[in-house]
Amino acid sequence: MPQVKIIAKNFMDMVASLPAIKLDLLYRNQFICEAILRSLPPLAKKYVLQMLYIDIPITSKSLQEWLLADGSSKHKVAIDRLIQLRVFEVIDRKKETTYKLNSTFQTNLRKHMISGGILPREPMPQSVTARLPTSEELDSYAHGQWECFLLQLISSGQAEKSTSFSSSMMRIFQRGLLRQRDKEAPRLTESGFQFLLMDTNAQLWYIIREYISNSEEQGVDQADLIAFLLELSFHTPGEAYSLDTLTDDQTTMIKDLADLGLVKLQKGRKESWFIPTKLATNLSVSLTDSSSRKQGFVVVETNFRMYAYSSSKLHCEILRLFARVEYQLPNLIVGAITKESLYNAFENGITAEQIVTFLQQNAHPRVAEKIPSVPENVTDQIRLWETDLNRVEMTPAHFYDEFPSRDVFEAASDFARMHNGLLWEDAKKMRMVVKAEIHMLMREHLRGQNK
Amino acid sequence: MNNGAGRRINGGAEEDDDEDDVNGDLDAWERTYTDERSWESLQEDESGMLRPIDNQALYHSQYRRRLRSLSSTAARIQKGLIRYLYIVIDLSRAASEMDFRPSRIAVIAKHVETFIREFFYQNPLSQVGIVTIKDGVAHCLTDIGGSPESHINALMKKLECSGDSSLQNALDLVDGYLNQIPSYGHREVLILYSALSTCDPGDIMDTIQKCRKSKIRCSVIGLAAEMFICKHLCQETGGTYSVALDESHFKELILEHAPPPPAIAEFAVANLINMGFPQRAAEGSISICSCHKEAKVGAGYTCPRCKARACELPTECCVCGLTLVSSPHLARSYHHLFPIAPFDEVTSSHLNNPNCKLQRNCFGCQQSLLDPGNKPGPAVVCPKCKRYFCLDCDIYIHESLHNCPGCDSLRHS
Amino acid sequence: MASAPSKLYADDVSLVVVLLDTNPFFWSSSSLSFSQFLSHVLAFLNAILTLNQLNQVVVIATGYNSCDYVFDSSSDLNRSFENGRMPVMCSSLLQKLEEFLIKDEQLSKEEPEGKIKSSLFSGSLSMALCCILSGVLMRHYFFDRVFRSGALHPHPRGSPDGPEQYVAIMNAIFSAQRSSVPIDSCYLGSQNSAFLQQASYITGGVHHKPQNLDGLFQYLMTIFATDLHSRSFIHLPKPVGVDFRASCFCHKSTIDMGYICSVCLSIFCKHHKKCSTCGSVFGQAQSEAASASDKKRKTPET
Repeated sequence: MPQVKIIAKNFMDMVASLPAIKLDLLYRNQFICEAILRSLPPLAKKYVLQMLYIDIPITSKSLQEWLLADGSSKHKVAIDRLIQLRVFEVIDRKKETTYKLNSTFQTNLRKHMISGGILPREPMPQSVTARLPTSEELDSYAHGQWECFLLQLISSGQAEKSTSFSSSMMRIFQRGLLRQRDKEAPRLTESGFQFLLMDTNAQLWYIIREYISNSEEQGVDQADLIAFLLELSFHTPGEAYSLDTLTDDQTTMIKDLADLGLVKLQKGRKESWFIPTKLATNLSVSLTDSSSRKQGFVVVETNFRMYAYSSSKLHCEILRLFARVEYQLPNLIVGAITKESLYNAFENGITAEQIVTFLQQNAHPRVAEKIPSVPENVTDQIRLWETDLNRVEMTPAHFYDEFPSRDVFEAASDFARMHNGLLWEDAKKMRMVVKAEIHMLMREHLRGQNK
Repeated sequence: MNNGAGRRINGGAEEDDDEDDVNGDLDAWERTYTDERSWESLQEDESGMLRPIDNQALYHSQYRRRLRSLSSTAARIQKGLIRYLYIVIDLSRAASEMDFRPSRIAVIAKHVETFIREFFYQNPLSQVGIVTIKDGVAHCLTDIGGSPESHINALMKKLECSGDSSLQNALDLVDGYLNQIPSYGHREVLILYSALSTCDPGDIMDTIQKCRKSKIRCSVIGLAAEMFICKHLCQETGGTYSVALDESHFKELILEHAPPPPAIAEFAVANLINMGFPQRAAEGSISICSCHKEAKVGAGYTCPRCKARACELPTECCVCGLTLVSSPHLARSYHHLFPIAPFDEVTSSHLNNPNCKLQRNCFGCQQSLLDPGNKPGPAVVCPKCKRYFCLDCDIYIHESLHNCPGCDSLRHS
Repeated sequence: MASAPSKLYADDVSLVVVLLDTNPFFWSSSSLSFSQFLSHVLAFLNAILTLNQLNQVVVIATGYNSCDYVFDSSSDLNRSFENGRMPVMCSSLLQKLEEFLIKDEQLSKEEPEGKIKSSLFSGSLSMALCCILSGVLMRHYFFDRVFRSGALHPHPRGSPDGPEQYVAIMNAIFSAQRSSVPIDSCYLGSQNSAFLQQASYITGGVHHKPQNLDGLFQYLMTIFATDLHSRSFIHLPKPVGVDFRASCFCHKSTIDMGYICSVCLSIFCKHHKKCSTCGSVFGQAQSEAASASDKKRKTPET
């Protein structure tokens, strides 16, 4: 099954793939140290804390002594990750492996622990900014912005307002998600559908990843961009920060980020400032945490009817992918999951499993408490309809008949069987069907027989 | 929750059948919603959006009503904290009926298990035994004892139902056992009765009088319909009689028997019991335990009187017979003795009062007591320390914590 | 779509409520000064907040006369910037702590000097539990089960536990046990604290008494910064004998054998005629039973 390739699922995978020199440079920034620490597996975090105030190398054996018997696999994951990120420096003495914390990382983290978190830049005083949006307003702004971007991404016509992304950038984002045939309106590819069914964080990741990997073309250093995005995630959401504190590169970036809903730009009388949203501060969090996950909205009943409490156009579009939307109230979408609507979805490359997980993940809180949150008969039926489509399996094959004698026929069928290529035979009429892969072999064989 | 209560009010045993008939006409998917009526908790706002009704306030007012009714009766009431309870389970033919899903006996077994655990949690010094009635004969499944696991294991092995049920045989058997327990213990029987008749060898009225004389408090939970003889038994002996409507109701009814009942003075003689509080030995120490007669590694408890080693608490020392408990066991019951007063509701005028302006946050969890619209939201106040609490904390404090954080964080003289 | 690997790390989110003992009677006699102690604890709090963005720290000061919240990392007040360079968290915490100590001292002046020198542990523990349980539920965290509330309380006292708080503390401990909130305790005093031992033992938390107070930070990091998820595969200190002795209601002294009222389970160290708690009179029957048990007891001994 073709998939959207989400290789670097989070920032840290991307950071880890940077060359060593760049990594060491990055660790000079205190925020990056903090972000790296947060991204580590729990056990690795413990190791780092443990060794924070130890200056001599520690043997791997003494680290392991701290573990219970069943923790050794976790130990391996933790150590691998630490070495990969160059947080641990491996010093091989004879026989024993010892580890030491990266000294830049260590000093920065110590500073952080003792003096506490320093904010990357100071927010602007209330007197200048006057009234700032409340966190609810900011959240709805961020989601609005993001949905608008998504709508534009999937069908440029439907978005109410267009973003400032250059069409070339947009095309980069759309690459892999959309397919355009000549003269036709662009259609979503299978991966495009899958992209839409992912949760916001994963989608954001995909876009940010594309954004970063294409930044070099725009003349922006990848490491700088990563550092800035990480720094941004340590800003307090809802506070105003002056745009003057940014470098030129960063100013251009922040405009792009505003389009994605990561920050909100505002202008005062003299100064202008940006306000990070929750989407931005979640960037350094590698998990799909609940604070970024929206509340579920879909109720599916055993009679295949579906009620979605949402006023979002995007939700409606997504549901339309696999269900028949019947009518819409201001904040309620009513539809039915039918065989036709599902066949439509399967044709577009959406799998039953994806639909089921989408319904389960987005189950309305009222039904989410129930087990199962989506009625079993519905999920079963969705899966059954999918397997219905896959009833016929196609195998390229060749048909042989008119064998000169029974001996030749039997030798041929044995030969085919030996090569695991016999699909069907009719001994009476001396006919057989053989897989296409061994057709050449078969021909050779038959020629040999004929001689 | 409120729907369930509403049904119970108009739903007697005889109405059950009607309801079944109604349900019979419905499709399976419709039936799941007849109980919930979830659509009734939606309302439309000005812009045509559908919004769920906030029923938290409703829930809380119900809770407060319950709390008040409890506290009015429970003022300075003594509770029977040391209980000797026999659970009598009817394993007659009637218990295999399928009106509870999958069968009455499966439902009984499931909830008896939770009940036994809850019972020992709430009454750590009490003991339980199980008696079953089958083929007209009462049989003692487990002796009275303090280990929940052994009761549950024994019960799960014996769940076959057959024959008739005999209330008299069961009561006679239990009466014999309960006569042996110490005088300070409260004697109780909880009968889970599925049958609609009792098949007795003699006059059951005599047995009921005998139980009354032995001061055994008999309670019955019926699974079928109300029976005169059960009601009579409960009335005579001071117990409670109830009939379960459905599984959740049954669970509710059986769990009502877990908290200690009010003690009736003449039922048990007040007494001082000599008890020991053993210390827990360090992990990894080795010694011979007196209960299993074998050397054991790991934590154990040492009897303060004879220094014998016991594995579990509470127990009786095998060597000197001293009752060994840990202080946490006793302490678990103390909240029955020192209940905290119900909090008073704060009227909105109160919150506006300039004198009380300081308390904008709940004292317990520091949540703001103000509504989103910056208006004072619902709150309660402790009559003693005058601290304000939010509704969530109020419920938590009374249901689980049994401490007033406000009163506890001020030094009393 | 493989979103599994990124979800792996989501289970170490903690809500840590720290109860600080600010009892002046203890700190005046302690080898570690209060300011040194605070610097260790502040670094510890910093570390907890650094470990995970969603971690939350609440600090409750346990004084001699009162208890109060001094810090909550989630409250908006701490987000706003007040005085220039100084890290917000420390400054607001120290400021509130100072206010609290002054208030606490004023309260004590109103009362005559008593002999009891214990802190109001029960009050702060109750507050902590309210904060963890009702607070968490109200704010709609979806994963409150993974929340650790290591109510860590460096809980030092010169005198033994305040027996007058026994019932309240036990209530709080059971409530914590029911809601599976582990209570960790780090004890700095010279004697053992039976309350803290029991609290940690019953709720499945860790009780530890650091040997070298200068390295307090390392102890805090190694033991108490462990989130609930990691506890399943890390060696942590095990209890070394828990004191399960009770304190009697009449003299508030700790006993290992005593008499218990059958009606209300009050504990007495001596035989009484009437229960002082519930008022039941121990009649004639009781003396017989007592003597019977005495006889029973004596037979094996002689």
